[in-house]
Amino acid sequence: MATLLLQQAINALTVGAIYALIALGYTMVYGVLRLINFAHSEMFTAGAFVAVFAASLLGGVAGHPGVALAAGFATFLAIGFLGVAVETVAYRPLRGTSRLAPMLSALGMAVVIQNVVMLVGGRRPLIYPSFLPRGVFQIAGAVVTYKQITILAVALVLMVGLELLVSRTSLGVKIRAVAESAETASLVGINPNLPIALIFFVGPGLGAVAGILYASYYGVATFSMGFIIGMKAFTAAILGGIGSIPGAVLGGLLLGFIETFATAWMPALTHGLIGTEYRDIFAFSVLVIILLFRPAGLLGEHVSEETMVYKRDF
Amino acid sequence: MIPMALMPIAVIVFGQFLPAYPLRILDLVLLYAMLGLGLNIVVGYAGLLDLGYVAFYAIGAYTYALLASPQFDLHLPFLLVLLIGAGLAALAGVLLGIPVLRLRGDYLAIVTLGFGEIIRVLMNNLDGLTNGPQGIARIDEAVIFGWHLSTPLDYLYLLVVLVVLTFLFVWRLQESSLGIALAAVREDQDAARGCGIDTTGVKLVAFATSATIGGIGGVVFASMQQFVSPESFTFWESLSIVLVVVVGGLGNPFGVILGAALLVVMPELLRAYADYRQLLYGIALVLIILARPMGLIRREYGPSWLVRRMTRA
Amino acid sequence: MRTVTLISTAALLVGLSSAARADIVIGSAGPLTNSESLFGTTWMNGMELAIRQANDAGGVGGQKLVFQREDDGGDPKQGTLVAQKQCDNTSMLAVIANFNSGVTIPSSDVYHRCGMPQVTNSSNPKVTKAGYPNLFRPIANDLSQGAAPAEYALKTLGAKKAAIVHDKQAFGQGVAEVFQDVFKKGGGTVTSFSGVAQTDVDFSALLTTIKNENPDVIYFGGIMPAIGLFVKQAREFGITAKVFGADSAFTPDFIQGAGPENAEGAIVSFQAPPYDSSPQLQEFAKTYKAAFKEDPGPYSAYGYMEAQVVINGMKAAGASITRATIVPAIAKSDFDSIVGHVSFQPNGELTKPFIFLYTVKNGKFELLK
Repeated sequence: MATLLLQQAINALTVGAIYALIALGYTMVYGVLRLINFAHSEMFTAGAFVAVFAASLLGGVAGHPGVALAAGFATFLAIGFLGVAVETVAYRPLRGTSRLAPMLSALGMAVVIQNVVMLVGGRRPLIYPSFLPRGVFQIAGAVVTYKQITILAVALVLMVGLELLVSRTSLGVKIRAVAESAETASLVGINPNLPIALIFFVGPGLGAVAGILYASYYGVATFSMGFIIGMKAFTAAILGGIGSIPGAVLGGLLLGFIETFATAWMPALTHGLIGTEYRDIFAFSVLVIILLFRPAGLLGEHVSEETMVYKRDF
Repeated sequence: MIPMALMPIAVIVFGQFLPAYPLRILDLVLLYAMLGLGLNIVVGYAGLLDLGYVAFYAIGAYTYALLASPQFDLHLPFLLVLLIGAGLAALAGVLLGIPVLRLRGDYLAIVTLGFGEIIRVLMNNLDGLTNGPQGIARIDEAVIFGWHLSTPLDYLYLLVVLVVLTFLFVWRLQESSLGIALAAVREDQDAARGCGIDTTGVKLVAFATSATIGGIGGVVFASMQQFVSPESFTFWESLSIVLVVVVGGLGNPFGVILGAALLVVMPELLRAYADYRQLLYGIALVLIILARPMGLIRREYGPSWLVRRMTRA
Repeated sequence: MRTVTLISTAALLVGLSSAARADIVIGSAGPLTNSESLFGTTWMNGMELAIRQANDAGGVGGQKLVFQREDDGGDPKQGTLVAQKQCDNTSMLAVIANFNSGVTIPSSDVYHRCGMPQVTNSSNPKVTKAGYPNLFRPIANDLSQGAAPAEYALKTLGAKKAAIVHDKQAFGQGVAEVFQDVFKKGGGTVTSFSGVAQTDVDFSALLTTIKNENPDVIYFGGIMPAIGLFVKQAREFGITAKVFGADSAFTPDFIQGAGPENAEGAIVSFQAPPYDSSPQLQEFAKTYKAAFKEDPGPYSAYGYMEAQVVINGMKAAGASITRATIVPAIAKSDFDSIVGHVSFQPNGELTKPFIFLYTVKNGKFELLK
């Protein structure tokens, strides 16, 4: 029993770390622009596909662990620049118009990116070469794969790096200033475009890495895989308190645990009444309940409408 | 008033000359116009983002599918089910609204999104009731006072009537004291509360009214399609209706109708491009929003504006 | 304003849909841009191959055949629109549509109203329930597809206990229910019957339960990539029960996705004999690869055969080839296709549905019976 719980906890942690990486992209964009960036889920998918392409240029991931690392880094850059390009083309011209316009423009971009991935990367499920080391070991009877350890390590490094960037660097100060109030920030001479561009570089980059980890973990990537997982990661971001970086991490991990444990135990607890087919809505149900008690998410500050960048929502 | 009254007549006359395929597209335009007008109450008038509107649409559609099909061998009359479906959707709107309306901004959006998904997953999983993923087939066609609706043209008449009624209703709503209260909530919730407006109360009414219209749309959809299954009620469907409202013009009934026409017709025109169809649709969407971020027709130029223009001229 | 817009768009649409042609048009509708677009595209490629070959051989009655693909997005609402569009096109004399049962059920009503000969690839038993005389299904429906593996498990493998998993979709749940019925009737015990979300990629929770049930066989009603992941994770969990899958797993992608060592021994049902089992099928696979620069998809051979059904119907329709004359001609179909013998019952189902069981051996599919 204890072994089983430990095993499930390890699985939950792995899935949760991936959710958290994607959730970071949603939460950073939202924190600064109050924008639900629907295109983010497709950065995740595009990342998985671009990485395979990059690795094949370098001679395939099977050859040398350095190839996986180099391809991963190249993908981070490529998708980061894609994110900046999307922001420049599809969101920046809409800044200051209405809040719904950029959200739907993002939706349009999501359709565009997904279809480009489909047309270029193909419709067949891509049998994914593992970017992660193989092998297993045991902790107290529970099986842990090197894949899982690597995923957790990569996620941890990226999250700490991001936190340092935001809290310790002058760019981070600018990001926080713009998030607090774009108007006030520009009064003290901060051009909001630079921190916003940085956010649209880092967020999609992290999403792309999450895409590589996810596809390597499950061994398959499809052009349409981003939508559902993106929706869940966004839920995670809200759960933790949107706009908050630690909140996104907490929300992602929590979501991983909720899904894993609810799917494992609900069928038994409810005598099969609620089976695994309800997996996709466990997260939402928990979200609804949490928001009813904490309307700003777990770690979110309760901001009044006044502090938002655009006070008039619609 | 006269040019407005002429529009539905023109649509009906025009419908007489259309082959069945464009006629079906026109039916769909009107159905989405109706849904858009309904959602517009919440998004356009009250300024709340509802990303789960499809839930009410699904409730209406499944109500008709269960009460007028071989599923339980019930064959209740169309108008009766229309009332039941509208009532159930309104009830769902209130039940969802009470707990969530105190949430602000996008927290509301994500909870409504969750609600939409929960309803869809329930429809997919409650096999005994809804037949699960197999859907419910051979649903009765609508019969209204002995008039048996069967062809796309029959449904055009029904939909024109419904869109006109919805249009008049939302226009009067916008001009009523409730509409003014909603506008106050949209502009500044705290100030509205300061003026003595029961903000939660008016939001709840907006939510329920909007849900009712969605439910009616669902009943009509089920009778038109004669088949319902969960895949017709995905999150994408909710987004499509939000698109109709925002692309058309938030808070403007004319805009919503135009938005519905554009967003239903565009994918059909893109059929010729096969594999690139969705890609082009996405590009067009972004371009339209970039060109008209406040919608095709801005809020100010609504029916009241038109009436003022006409009477002054 | 609104009326003007409507008139102009409608005028455009009329213009598009009534492009006059002297040739005979054969239409098709299926998913081309959503997550199932791989199946839709390769299925239609198969049709196109048959139509090209017919044209090379001189067409039908001296007329050339033109093939038109439509995307229904797997969406019932779009399916009826496409059906109406194809009905309105007077030079279109037959359709091969749709791929998803949930789309075929509402669209068949529209096709029926305009008397369009419709050949479908949707396998849900409900599809033919409406009794439309213009609707034909030249493939085994879910009843045969679910029954054959159940009988094999009971009789040949002597299995007593089965765990059943499905993806909560019309197809997956449909075949899984048939498997369950047949297995129970044959004296077997079903230890669990569970649904998973269609988009699931992580089955660890369910597999933990199944491992404790210790079944002899596991039936998975679902499509790729889920079934590949399921088999892979089952083996990683140390579950050794024989796994059965339905037709969409009949692709090298399944063996690759699960990993050849995990897929070994899995049994998959499919409506066609293997591509290397007869010279005709070998020829088909070769021509397909030459034409489309990739291996045929799981449904390509069906698409090819279904187009043949239509073309043969047109050839047998007599002097005047119309929708009305093609329907009875298709009903009288009686020929050997590359996948099996085609002839129809009055309800449009195959007289003798063909279903084959395959097992994975040394990383390749091998015919079982």
